Amino acid sequence: MINGDDIDGLAAEYVLGTLDQSERATVTARRQREPALEAAIIAWERRLAPLADAVVPVEPSPDALAKIESRLRTRDGATDNGASVIQLKKRVNAWRAAAMLSSAVAASLAIFVGVREFQRPSTPGNLVAVLQKDAASPAFLVTVNVENRVMTVRPVAAPAEPGKSYELWIVHDSLGAPKSLGLIDGPGVKVKPQLAAYKPDVIESATFAVSLEPEGGSTTGAPTGPVVFAGKVIPEGK
Amino acid sequence: MTTPQQLVILMQRVARQDRAAFAELYAATSSKLFGVVLRILRRRDLADEVLQEAYVKIWERAADYRPETGAVITWITTIARNRALDEARRKRPDSVEDHPEILNIATDAESALAAVMRGEDGQRLTDCLKRLEPARRDMVLLAYCEGLSREELAEKYGQPVNTIKTWLRRSLIQLKGCLAP
Repeated sequence: MINGDDIDGLAAEYVLGTLDQSERATVTARRQREPALEAAIIAWERRLAPLADAVVPVEPSPDALAKIESRLRTRDGATDNGASVIQLKKRVNAWRAAAMLSSAVAASLAIFVGVREFQRPSTPGNLVAVLQKDAASPAFLVTVNVENRVMTVRPVAAPAEPGKSYELWIVHDSLGAPKSLGLIDGPGVKVKPQLAAYKPDVIESATFAVSLEPEGGSTTGAPTGPVVFAGKVIPEGK
Repeated sequence: MTTPQQLVILMQRVARQDRAAFAELYAATSSKLFGVVLRILRRRDLADEVLQEAYVKIWERAADYRPETGAVITWITTIARNRALDEARRKRPDSVEDHPEILNIATDAESALAAVMRGEDGQRLTDCLKRLEPARRDMVLLAYCEGLSREELAEKYGQPVNTIKTWLRRSLIQLKGCLAP
């Protein structure tokens, strides 16, 4: 019986390997949609990873690599699901490339940015990102339509903190200091027209950050509270 | 010996569908992965199959790897281990009785711990494992390294399955507390 509240215990036993078949299947499904569980699993994987050093390496069959490569060739030839998988990969690659090139500002924030892929299709031409520092932090779903420069921000798991507000910032070398894009207050989807002031190429290469500010937002014009996420948008479906 | 940094670079090339990099990654990691899945599955034919599936998955998911979340070897070992555990739980694994060497891990725990300790992050984990009661420490090792299920541990230790589950969870909580910064 799985205790739904004991996410950490469940993650720990999942990584240890002692869950039974149905419990494992449940966790495999749940981790896709529960960032807290996913993060707990990753944390346990890291904690226990050194135990794998206790296992003596064994050479696999000499023909194993050839068999694997043969499977890969068969997959590449497939046309049904192949296209969407490759598209997904390209999208992730685009994100990774963007992340590697991320600005010095983002680097100095020195935070871990997690990106989750979308499962559902949406309008081509949009830029998207789901950003999150870790499972204990709020997640925000950001969609930018470059043509009309409207940004949609949806807090996915961002509980409002009493007396605090989330504030969205755009960071780009050409802008100097981070520029506020306004508050993300309350649950639900917020459509932000503030991007109209920025050029599409700036939006596409900017870093977006959310900081936790005093209620009503930063009074200094610059982020004053902890940055709960920062990251770049990537072209959807590119 | 491929360094962790070299593995990251290899992974980035694999993410760009570089087959040569994939072959290098395989050469650098396959004996470790095969050791891990073979210990869990206890049968070479099953382990062969799982190893192949794991590397296909590594190829497909290479772009998902993020260096911030941990070492390449941890990431790919996890993929292979999860696949092996799914398989071990799906099929009725060979009885522990057919593999008496598994029951001997208690006497071998010291050398297992010594191997863990030689790893980069192993020192702290080893220290923490040593603080567990010996039987509970062995249980953790048997579960992680040998893929023993709760039922198999219950059989080995002559305890009800629920007791084993409680012990495991307590041991893990204790480990987490000990490892916390």
